[in-house]
Amino acid sequence: MVGVERRTFLMLASGAASMPRFAIAQSDTRPEIVVAVQKLVTSNTLDPVAEQSNVGERILNSYVELLIGRNLQGELEDMPQLATSWKRISDEIVEVSLRKGVKFHNGDEMTAEDIVFTFSAARMFGNTTPSGWDKTITMDTSRPTQKSKELPTQVPAVARRLWPSLVKVEVVDKYTCRFVNATPDVTIEGRLTGMGSQIVNRRAFEEAASWLDYARKPIGTGPYKIRSFTPDVELIFDAHDDYWGGRPPIKTLRFVQVPEVAQRVNGIRAGQYHFACDLTPDQIVTVESDPKLEVVGGIIPNIRLSVFDKYDTALKDPRIRQALTHAIDRKMIVDKLWLGRSKVPPGLQFAFYGDMLVSGWTAPEFDPAKAKALVKEAGYKGDPIPYRLLNDYYTLQTANAQVLTEMWQQIGLNVQIEMKENWAQIWDPKGKRAIHDWSNSAQFNDPVSSLPTQHGPQGQQQQVHEWANDEMNKLCGILQTSTDKAMRKKAFERMLVVCEREDPAYTVLNQNATFTAKRKSTQWKVAPDFAMDFRASNWRG
Amino acid sequence: MLLFATKRVARAILTVLIVVGCAFAALRLSSDPALVVLGPDAPPSAVAAFRAAWGLDQPLWQQFFYYIAGLLRGEFGRSLLNGADVLPLVGSRVLVTLEIMIPALAIGILVGVSAGAYAALRHNTPKDRLVMMGAVAGFTVPHFVLGLVLVLIFAVHLGWLPSGGNDSWRSAILPVVTLSTGWAAVLARFTRSSVVEVLGQPYIRTASAKGLLWRAVIIRHALPNAAIPVVTTIGFMVGGLLAGAVVTESVFSWPGLGQLIVTSVAARDVAVVQCVLLLVATAMVLSNMTVDFLYTLLDPRLRGGRH
Repeated sequence: MVGVERRTFLMLASGAASMPRFAIAQSDTRPEIVVAVQKLVTSNTLDPVAEQSNVGERILNSYVELLIGRNLQGELEDMPQLATSWKRISDEIVEVSLRKGVKFHNGDEMTAEDIVFTFSAARMFGNTTPSGWDKTITMDTSRPTQKSKELPTQVPAVARRLWPSLVKVEVVDKYTCRFVNATPDVTIEGRLTGMGSQIVNRRAFEEAASWLDYARKPIGTGPYKIRSFTPDVELIFDAHDDYWGGRPPIKTLRFVQVPEVAQRVNGIRAGQYHFACDLTPDQIVTVESDPKLEVVGGIIPNIRLSVFDKYDTALKDPRIRQALTHAIDRKMIVDKLWLGRSKVPPGLQFAFYGDMLVSGWTAPEFDPAKAKALVKEAGYKGDPIPYRLLNDYYTLQTANAQVLTEMWQQIGLNVQIEMKENWAQIWDPKGKRAIHDWSNSAQFNDPVSSLPTQHGPQGQQQQVHEWANDEMNKLCGILQTSTDKAMRKKAFERMLVVCEREDPAYTVLNQNATFTAKRKSTQWKVAPDFAMDFRASNWRG
Repeated sequence: MLLFATKRVARAILTVLIVVGCAFAALRLSSDPALVVLGPDAPPSAVAAFRAAWGLDQPLWQQFFYYIAGLLRGEFGRSLLNGADVLPLVGSRVLVTLEIMIPALAIGILVGVSAGAYAALRHNTPKDRLVMMGAVAGFTVPHFVLGLVLVLIFAVHLGWLPSGGNDSWRSAILPVVTLSTGWAAVLARFTRSSVVEVLGQPYIRTASAKGLLWRAVIIRHALPNAAIPVVTTIGFMVGGLLAGAVVTESVFSWPGLGQLIVTSVAARDVAVVQCVLLLVATAMVLSNMTVDFLYTLLDPRLRGGRH
């Protein structure tokens, strides 16, 4: 009798214990979505400052957000995100009003204290100091360890690249703060929209045992919170049901790393994945042969470049570099290699520059006769011109290089491909350098975020002594510090002439593009960007 | 026997040191890890600071000395990317790799040795040729081709199995079949030729002539004598368990040691690569030592180092 009672009790108790959970599980009918990507992150962390990469940009907006966001369902125009409004106090100061009632993943309400902390020395800048355009950045050389809260060396370096002159962020009141710059800067608002300026929770950082513990699971305000992260394997998010922008439409969002493009395609065809990212154009036909699937995506704000070394080889003569720029049939590359899914950009500038866009500017025209004449005029003797190349670091990179080499040989230039393993070998000053590939993104809606960052005095090309131009460097100073809009635009126009025509530092090839395979039944709009938007406003699965 | 064991252990340690030393030098001389980790846009001041922080600005011999000293203290280093201890990272991947490698090896041995012996005992018959045709096909088809074909058939068209990943035991079936096919094919060929050779020896005729059952002749005289080349081959396979699935893991997105090696080499995360190579070299050397000792059990003439 006792045994029966005990059994009955246990049955009732276990039934009672399981019923509420059963009810909750039944009520949450949101889907579990799997996204296959070529690579999750490049830094093996999820810290927005440390993870400055195209692949990182894809996932960041799912868990951390900016004060001023970009409209991923539009044309990337600025839009309020964690800030509801912002105004100029002076050339050096911008005041930001915060959205009220925003909850972090740990339940804390976002306040101005979190903004101050996000842009603090402890979390971003280390012991670096704000400087003007041409000042040297001091570096923290301490070695990161798993147990310490010291920032890894690269974090302050990146932070100062993003915010070279930011002195501090001040609290005005609980929901208002001010960004204070050392120098006049018309781009403070733009920098707030850039990758690396996402807001993180102060308490979570302070409670983490080490920087690495924080960086593997940053606490943000985004629609999804991190459940687990295994570098090189998978990143799993759960819905953040207190999200200020509405209940997220996906219960579990899982990004899995599938390095082989053929496997990503096979996986989505087999029904294992809901999205397969980073497809090459040649895979599009295979995917679209399945009536249930489609390929979306296209042009993103990133431009592919051929970059020149003006100190070695025959490229010392600017006419040879000019000839290289005129020998390229960019439209043919777009039509044949990219199957028409890319386009030739109007020089190194982006449509979202708005008033700063130099209208009427184009890539150098394809004119083999002019190119041949320039080669003849320069008295080129047929010396080898090395072209250092990585194996498909960029989509279609090797095929593109072979096409370019043929075009350059057509005008009589002896360009020779040299395969390299990594970027260090591309930049290596040992041996002859002449041409290599690169790409350029604008981090925000102003040319100062693009052309000067790579080709200006602080840019890599000048730092490794590949190219320099005194006029260009003066123009960079104007673009960085002037608050006169007309003068800034004039400086940018002249920069394009110097860098793309008179003394070519590079030449633009085509606008970069990403291609994502998805199920046709999923009503989801791809952004004109690397970022993927899984908010409720972009999902009718 | 003690001299035999001592010599082999000393040789093993030397081999591991040479492998680790070569990898150490190659990884640092082929490119600058600082520039690979920080990326092409990193300012030179940051690159210099990174090199100083990780000791990459010191002479190579000094870096190697510190590395060996660390190993002797049980420190395998930290990831250049994020400062994490590399040993737990590598250890977790070893287990994932072994999840497919051990079943694949077991199936490969079972199928390969059985098929090889079967073919040898039917030497020069259509059955022998059929088995050997299968073995040659299994040996010559690269893993990445076989893997993709299996995925197309069983995942894409039939929808029976996952195309990749490591979500459940079903995810392991295709990688295991891919790996075991190659191993079974190699072992079948070795076993067949070894058994055929042994079957022609005078002591087999003697054993038959003295009236032993053919089954007993095979089990007691033919198979043990044919085992040495087969054990050698299996030894290599066991030694390669950790690093032998680089291609297969890539094809099936299996998050094991192979995938870690590929990403770490590309990212020049030298501490991770060195730790992996140390483990792989140690596994290979231990496996070879085990084979050496097994030789002495199988063939008493080899004891004492006599060959």
